Amino acid sequence: MGRGDGGDEMWRGGAEAVLNLQPSASISIAYDAVFDAHSDLLLLELDDKLLPQIMQNRVTIRGEPDEEAVLCTPSATYALKYVGTSNSAFLIPPSSGPSSDVSDSGPVKVASAIKLAPGVMELVEVAPRLHKLKELLAENPYRPEEDSMEELEENDGLRRLRWEDLVERVQASDEELKGALKDISAVEINGYWRIVDEKYMDMVLNMILHNLVLNEWSLDGFEEDQVLGIMGSDGFPLKIVLHCLEIYGRRVNLTDDELSGGRCLWRLDEKQVCVHFARVILRGGKMKMERFMDEWMDKIPAGMSADFEMLEGQVLVENIGMETWIWAFSVSSLPSTPAERFAALFQERQKWEWKDLQPYIRDLRVPGLSSESLLLKYTRRTQPTMDAEPVFSTR
Amino acid sequence: MQIRVKCECGESSCREWAIVELQGVVEAQPAFQDQIQNLEIGVLCRASSQEKYTFTVGYHELSGSKVAMKKPLLVLKKKKLLDSEDVPGSSSNSSKIELEVIGIIRHRILFKTRPRALISRNCTLAGQISPLDVDATQS
Repeated sequence: MGRGDGGDEMWRGGAEAVLNLQPSASISIAYDAVFDAHSDLLLLELDDKLLPQIMQNRVTIRGEPDEEAVLCTPSATYALKYVGTSNSAFLIPPSSGPSSDVSDSGPVKVASAIKLAPGVMELVEVAPRLHKLKELLAENPYRPEEDSMEELEENDGLRRLRWEDLVERVQASDEELKGALKDISAVEINGYWRIVDEKYMDMVLNMILHNLVLNEWSLDGFEEDQVLGIMGSDGFPLKIVLHCLEIYGRRVNLTDDELSGGRCLWRLDEKQVCVHFARVILRGGKMKMERFMDEWMDKIPAGMSADFEMLEGQVLVENIGMETWIWAFSVSSLPSTPAERFAALFQERQKWEWKDLQPYIRDLRVPGLSSESLLLKYTRRTQPTMDAEPVFSTR
Repeated sequence: MQIRVKCECGESSCREWAIVELQGVVEAQPAFQDQIQNLEIGVLCRASSQEKYTFTVGYHELSGSKVAMKKPLLVLKKKKLLDSEDVPGSSSNSSKIELEVIGIIRHRILFKTRPRALISRNCTLAGQISPLDVDATQS
């Protein structure tokens, strides 16, 4: 027999000898001494472009025991699909010696197969599975009571999640998870990812606006230090005030000179602020359009102007008889997977015109599916006449 | 939970494994079924400088060729880590699993044809092939 059957080696192997078999040569393929004992081996098929990610240890498999596992690179998510085979694929490892140059000790006569490959795991790029993220964080939103109890937080029995906990539970790549945390306005407080209670955010925003007016600071350029100082003396945690500015404001780009002076300027984002107040007003439910518009205009801070277009994807409007009614229907409150999203949309309304539907589906991303094919898959399109607007209903 | 896919070898030095693949199954003679360890499955022969191969199993001969995989296959080995290795942020007390890349498969020697009977040769002990789509015809 060939080299390598010294007994104490794990596999006699010989992949090199098989792959480099010379013309007119032959090699015996044999069952290994421990054939079929290797249930711990898996085969993973992957694109060459993903190889560097794996080789640099940047890939993990995520999911809870009851979920279909996904493989995550730093920026993308792939479903793992098991593909079986009825062929017999004998798996032959390289010989276990340190160097395996075939020529150094004469031709190898035997290569050992250690098992039949059972099948292959294939990768299919998928949208990240983020629906759980919001549920997890919504269980325990940050409330004002916590402002003063930083120390005893661990003992109240409520769930708090660090980044490490999120990647254990949510099936998304790091990059997708970070994007999703930003989308739902989550913030890291004392090492834990939280969403802040909506009413609390409303109070902080109103307080900031109040202070801007009181001190005659401009909505379009106020100093971070000054606002933090005054809000801090009112007892608001600076982390929460900054979070509020991140959501409802933008940093103003400064010249290098101004930056070197340590100044940091913010301006409030008109659209974000106006949408916020519309949501606050509509929290009570459906209302008549006239009354809504009156209350909305009333709430908008001086110096800002609200435009109904801002509420795209936030509200629905319906004419009932002579009256127009409006209610909150926010895209951010809807499921993020296409099937569930469309189900929720058609539950709200049986028929959708394109201009109404579009704001509620444009954020859906499914690898390999365009938005046209999404519409084809989940809706029925009707067009009463050639020049009429198409209407979408459930399939 | 999260399972790390670890690779210590690096792309250039990842060792290549081979696959010899045929249709159907290879069955050992009944007398050997419980002790196939070290038993010869067949003899792989490369007749010429082309990448054409024959695989002789018992008194059957298969013809095939070496083909590059469209996508490479990684060979992963499941490893259990004990919790004493102190994984930061771990919320469970169970042992962690890691997948280690121990090889890569870029080629296989594939036999897609049905076996040809080699009447003149003696039957070796190793066995016979019973293709899935054909009843075993040998007695």
